[in-house]
Amino acid sequence: MLRWSELGESFRIAVEALRLNLMRSILTTAGVVVGVVLVVVMGWTIKGLDAVWEQTISIIGRDMLYIDKWNWAGGGNWRNMEARRNITLRQATLLKDRMESAEVVIPLARRWSSTVQYGSKSVSCSVQGTTYEYGSTPAGTTEIGRWYSESEDLQGDRVVVLGYGVAQAVFEDSNPTNAIVKIAGYPFRVIGVVEKRGFIFMDFIDNQVFIPLRTFQGVYGFYDRSFSIAVKAGNERLLEIVRDEAVGHMRDIRNVAPDANADFSVNEMEAFDAQVTTIRSSIWIVGIGLTVLAFIVGSIGIMNIMFVSVAERTKEIGVRKAIGARRSSILTQFLIESALLCMVGAVIALPISQGIVTAARAIAIGPLELEWVSVVSPYIPVDLLAIAIGVSILVGLAAGFLPARRAATLDPVEALRYD
Amino acid sequence: MESDSTAIIQIENIAKVYEMGEEQVHALRDVSLTINGNEYIALMGPSGSGKSTLMNMLGCLDTPSSGSYLFKGENVSEMSDDDLAEIRNREIGFVFQTFNLLPRASALQNVELPLVYSGMSKRDRLDRAADALHRVGLDNRMDHRPNELSGGQRQRVAIARALVTDPAIILADEPTGNLDSRTGQDIMGLFDELWKAGNTIILVTHEEDIARHAHRIVRLRDGKVESDTENAHAPLV
Repeated sequence: MLRWSELGESFRIAVEALRLNLMRSILTTAGVVVGVVLVVVMGWTIKGLDAVWEQTISIIGRDMLYIDKWNWAGGGNWRNMEARRNITLRQATLLKDRMESAEVVIPLARRWSSTVQYGSKSVSCSVQGTTYEYGSTPAGTTEIGRWYSESEDLQGDRVVVLGYGVAQAVFEDSNPTNAIVKIAGYPFRVIGVVEKRGFIFMDFIDNQVFIPLRTFQGVYGFYDRSFSIAVKAGNERLLEIVRDEAVGHMRDIRNVAPDANADFSVNEMEAFDAQVTTIRSSIWIVGIGLTVLAFIVGSIGIMNIMFVSVAERTKEIGVRKAIGARRSSILTQFLIESALLCMVGAVIALPISQGIVTAARAIAIGPLELEWVSVVSPYIPVDLLAIAIGVSILVGLAAGFLPARRAATLDPVEALRYD
Repeated sequence: MESDSTAIIQIENIAKVYEMGEEQVHALRDVSLTINGNEYIALMGPSGSGKSTLMNMLGCLDTPSSGSYLFKGENVSEMSDDDLAEIRNREIGFVFQTFNLLPRASALQNVELPLVYSGMSKRDRLDRAADALHRVGLDNRMDHRPNELSGGQRQRVAIARALVTDPAIILADEPTGNLDSRTGQDIMGLFDELWKAGNTIILVTHEEDIARHAHRIVRLRDGKVESDTENAHAPLV
């Protein structure tokens, strides 16, 4: 059994040994330093990714679902989806009339490839034809100007609300409202710009423009066009109820037999989480691999230096044994020294990690002009810090075990004779 | 002072054999020895006589290949490493030729060390360590490190460290070997005083005038006890 008095003595000796060989100790911990830096910086990156993703989702709306012929997240069989019947405006209108649990139901017609022309500038974008109600969803919140009104919508006025990316590309930082642009050869008056929504993922959603549904019909027609139906639950917790109700109505509206699979997809933001999860796991796998490698290299260094330390102090170990140190006393002494050595590494790694994080963030926001990085925390996460220190202590104990056991099992007679 | 007749150490027919490759080296052959409380013994012999091996045996640093060793009635021959460590900690005070102090610890910390391993509280340790340093006349050197002390002072610290647990025997291996003769005599004077105060002292030496301080001289040769005699020249009490 270990005694408290011995533990205190062990700490005293360990601290002294480290102080005495300060330079050697610091160099020895290089591997551990790299390992800890990797863990912390990687963790920070993933947390940043999550923050950015959360931001994106919250702007599009976690309480939104989109009924569409296509599964947006890429699941399902492409040919089967291609063969599905189109979702018509009439079906969308029927759903809107029948839905009780949803806050709002909005039909969307989409033209993927089109261009916005202004003077000599021409920017490709997608065109969405939708109702005035879209302006009340998070995805339709305008940064400059306004959304079109109900009357503009019903009259089919040639007004357009630009996506953030399109506005930037065409007008840069000047105010585009009341400018006349050409879409598919027709003049449109710009009345507003939607606020920036896409971060690193889904940058494309800023690259679209919105026009009233009736106007869309006039320009592109509804023939052979499949509509999307945006359903806003109003609250994330209601999403399931709303989804069930919407699916029920749609099956009925489209005459899907009770035992057949639905011939439409319900797209939710949640589906995209899977993609983010894939990115996260890739970072983890690469990061963990590098970290393990660094810790292995680090622990070999620690083990080596601990063997040196044991050899250097053979005589001292002999003296300690002669005056009554038991095996466990000597074992503990060297294990503590080894663990402390690793902790020194962790402590050195922390300011380095913070430095890397601060620099990376500053470079991303500054010279690289990646504004979205500003939602990422400028500090290394506290929980990772604790984990990193904990792991380095464990590595220290593991790496120190063999040298410590050698010290503990030294024959006192031999050790005392050592010079 | 009269000898305390209770036996502390009873060795019977012990032998120690080392395997050196193919060869067997008989370091000790059939040695028997009884040491009583408050004896003052010198263990003498040329190098290779088995003197060091016997000292390691007596100090419970090593166990015999055969024979029995009873320390205060307990059979040491069959003890585990940790049991031996406990016995050394509690019952044996070592004084080495090269002092063997920890260089980076103060005199007080060096003396305190055996008590650390016996699990005593910090306050008691410091009290007893200070008391031991007082007994060897180093009250004013407690915070000095070994390199700030003279050879004689270092050996006094080592003796204080040996005394601090109030052990059954003090085992001194060539305690004056690294000291000039005058300092050596001072140290021997200290051992004489400790004996007078009731301690049991075993000196291992090859110097006749050091051995002369003891009251009984055991001479070894070729791993055997050559003679075991009373020392008529011992200084009178």
